[in-house]
Amino acid sequence: MKKRGNFLFIEKNDDVYTLSMTPELQDDIGTVGFVEYMHGDTLNVDDSILNIEASKTVIDVASPLAGKIVERNEAAINEPILLSSAKTEENWVVKLTDVDEEAFNQLEEA
Amino acid sequence: MDQEARLDYLIDYLWSENPNALEQMVQSKAGSVEEKIALFRGLCNIRQPEPISEQFVKVQDAFLTQWNNERHLTSLHDLEAVQQQLYLWQGDITSLAVDAIVNAANSEFLGCMQANHHCIDNIIHTRAGVKLRLDCDELIKAQGRKEPVGKAKITKAYNLPSEYIIHTVGPFIDQRGTSPLREQLLASSYKSCLALADQYQLDSLAFCCISTGEFNFPNQRAAEIAIQTVKEYMRNTDSKLQVIFNVFKDEDLQIYQSLLARKE
Repeated sequence: MKKRGNFLFIEKNDDVYTLSMTPELQDDIGTVGFVEYMHGDTLNVDDSILNIEASKTVIDVASPLAGKIVERNEAAINEPILLSSAKTEENWVVKLTDVDEEAFNQLEEA
Repeated sequence: MDQEARLDYLIDYLWSENPNALEQMVQSKAGSVEEKIALFRGLCNIRQPEPISEQFVKVQDAFLTQWNNERHLTSLHDLEAVQQQLYLWQGDITSLAVDAIVNAANSEFLGCMQANHHCIDNIIHTRAGVKLRLDCDELIKAQGRKEPVGKAKITKAYNLPSEYIIHTVGPFIDQRGTSPLREQLLASSYKSCLALADQYQLDSLAFCCISTGEFNFPNQRAAEIAIQTVKEYMRNTDSKLQVIFNVFKDEDLQIYQSLLARKE
């Protein structure tokens, strides 16, 4: 099942929720040139996940869900342009667990 | 030293520490006091965030104190609320004697570095003095990366009549116009400034029209977002903050007047 929130897609596979870039977000910020993840693995709703410097702007991307970060897209740190890719396997941001399923269900359909 | 003698000293100092300044300057000769002020402003604008002598700061502060205070200053008591806790005032934000004014910064965060550029970031840094840029430089270096859109940072206001400056970077609008993300980021700028003002327990905060100048956000939509975001914040937080919408252009005055005349 796939949802969207805070200009990110959220895809649920069992108990793992993968957050990835939406085309809308990619289009708005331009080509990604620099990526830095925030410290800490516990996220509340609207906490910053990572900072992006792109061709058109500098933004913090915020989490639409509370949860625990189990994996970051480390490849994007060395190759930021991956976040500008159209493929989810390249433009994903983090994987979360300990997410409230009800909160996920209430997000907008993707 | 009178104002002109102070200006001569300050201009000499700035020229001598930056031999390449000429290339970046709009004007390099000054006869009248007005021209000297413009020259001083331009030289401050292009100045890199490097240490400055105590003597310079002393003379600069004396000059700026007089230059800033020879204008009519406006405080909250001079204004009448248009709605509960909300005020509307047209004029130069650097002449407001309130707890904090909001500066429309950019992601580099050092203040406008273009000589004599007519933007709010430029005049705020000019009238506050060169130490403001040193503070901003320290903040942004400590952060280790550029300032994201929609956040806020606070500094002292130095020679301005306000106590603090809250700096926020609003969204930039290119030829494709606004988008849901950009609208949300503008609201986020307002929210971040309000939250920071409350965190510092300030009583009064004056907003400029964030993103509408150099950043091209359409004025009407920006004003709607500004007012709606402030009202929502007040409802959700029970904040006691007195909020002034500061407008500069007549166009914005009319837009805000019309929006604030509507009660919910």
